[in-house]
Amino acid sequence: MERKIKVKVEDLCKSFGDLKVLEDCNFHIYDGEFVCVVGPTGCGKTTFLNMLSNLLEPTSGRVLIDGEKASPQKHNLSFIFQEPSAFPWLTVEKNIAYGLRAKNKDEGYIKEQTDRIIDLMGLEKYRKAYPGELSTSAEQKIVIGRAFAMDPDLLLMDEPYGQMDVKTRFYLQDEVIRIWKEYQKTVVFITHNIEEAVYLAERVLILTNKPARVKEDVPIHLPHPRDINDPEFVRIRNYITEQIKWW
Amino acid sequence: MKKIRNITRRDVFLAVLPVLSILMAIGLWLLVSSGEDHIIPTPGEVYERAVRLFEKPINHVSLWGHIWASVKRVLIGLFFACVTGIPFGLLIGWNKTCRSVLKPLFDLIRPIPALAWIPLMTLWFGIGETSKIALIYMGTLRPVLVNTYAGVSMTPQINIDVARVFGASQFQVVKDIVMPSTLSAILAGIKTALGTGWIVVLAAEMISANTGLGFMIIRGSNVADLALVIFAMLIIGIVGALLSAVLTFLERKLCPWKTVIN
Ligand SMILES: Nc1ncnc2c1ncn2[C@@H]1O[C@H](COP(=O)(O)OP(=O)(O)OP(=O)(O)O)[C@@H](O)[C@H]1O
Ligand SMILES: [Mg+2]
Repeated sequence: MERKIKVKVEDLCKSFGDLKVLEDCNFHIYDGEFVCVVGPTGCGKTTFLNMLSNLLEPTSGRVLIDGEKASPQKHNLSFIFQEPSAFPWLTVEKNIAYGLRAKNKDEGYIKEQTDRIIDLMGLEKYRKAYPGELSTSAEQKIVIGRAFAMDPDLLLMDEPYGQMDVKTRFYLQDEVIRIWKEYQKTVVFITHNIEEAVYLAERVLILTNKPARVKEDVPIHLPHPRDINDPEFVRIRNYITEQIKWW
Repeated sequence: MKKIRNITRRDVFLAVLPVLSILMAIGLWLLVSSGEDHIIPTPGEVYERAVRLFEKPINHVSLWGHIWASVKRVLIGLFFACVTGIPFGLLIGWNKTCRSVLKPLFDLIRPIPALAWIPLMTLWFGIGETSKIALIYMGTLRPVLVNTYAGVSMTPQINIDVARVFGASQFQVVKDIVMPSTLSAILAGIKTALGTGWIVVLAAEMISANTGLGFMIIRGSNVADLALVIFAMLIIGIVGALLSAVLTFLERKLCPWKTVIN
């Protein structure tokens, strides 16, 4: 069966002044696919997501979502930023509801959705607290919850679990897989952690050093939940590590 | 989340110190004022003068009347400064074109102290209420505007980006992100403005007025009633401190996330 293409990246280039960050990137992401992007530090992963969400204009080439120019107004997408990005002036529950309010959803739905996410993220105790009162890990849960609450078609995650403690990280890895499976979302997940990429993704895109191109596209056919000790898992993990080390 | 701390001896010592220093100041006052040459009235004399003030008000206006006259002028001037300064500050902070056009003009007027406007204001508005309020407006506009502008330009880009990727409109970004993240800067500006307004009102009242604390001081000075002058000074200090305390309280109410972090 032919899979529908969700995101299409055509000859994408981005420079900041003289600095070439992305060069001639060409690939696509299928609808409902879980893609991880790995690459050396500072190679342009965040820049790439910023163009997917239309925060940055490409220097040349284009990014299409469902065949149209990417736009947060038109497409239901959520973006989890690399840096802490909870709103300090809103309580936990209002932070989580923010995206829904911005899109003028019905209050009843917002409440229902917020309650569900608070429960999912284990934030019940902190409902009325401000992000500044919580640990980095808990603050990141707010941000993740705020993105999940949108039920986005396209979920863009930029090293979302980088700051989290190991236990929360494992829990949320399984959780993002569960949400992805249950609601058939398209997920683009950036990570530094190769094991994490192999644990999650259906396909891993390996980027080269600056200026970044897609060096390789590694499909992973193992079923979820994956076993990190499975020989095939270990083989893929080592392979990707090799490909990155090469640079 | 609250930290529980044991009260140590040092804490007690630090808490007692302010009381001690105030007592010392009063002691010093007693010492200086009880000298032969009478350069300053004694605390007792000031107290008696205060009591007499309640029996025989100055210019048929009670002490409260004078306090309110000054406070009212400041509040009206400040009100206009907020109504114009906050939107103006938001505008030049947010819109690059507005900034290029308006900021240089504002920067030109900005270094001129409010009191330098006295002659012009008197010429334009006479010596009545209007010119006093206009003068206070000139003095309070600057801190309100500057702080609003600075607050807007310091809004974290990441928060704006979050709103954008949720599809927020330009107006929503200003309302949901820029406003709350600027709010505490605006309140800090209003607090500074109150201080400035308080100085300006006294100066204005000293020049020409028949109510207000500035007027009270000048009246005392004209009839060589130093006890009245000192008493008015004390009241000016107390009211100024109270105004500032009200703003601190307001800041806590309006920006609870700030207090929570500290
Ligand atoms: N707005 C900008 N102006 C100029 N240079 C920029 C800008 N944003 C990013 N860069 C540069 O582009 C390069 C890629 O940055 P980017 O943040 O996309 O990398 P990254 O792969 O996400 O890195 P990391 O692994 O640290 O998250 C870096 O060298 C960075 O300094
Ligand atoms: Mg990055």
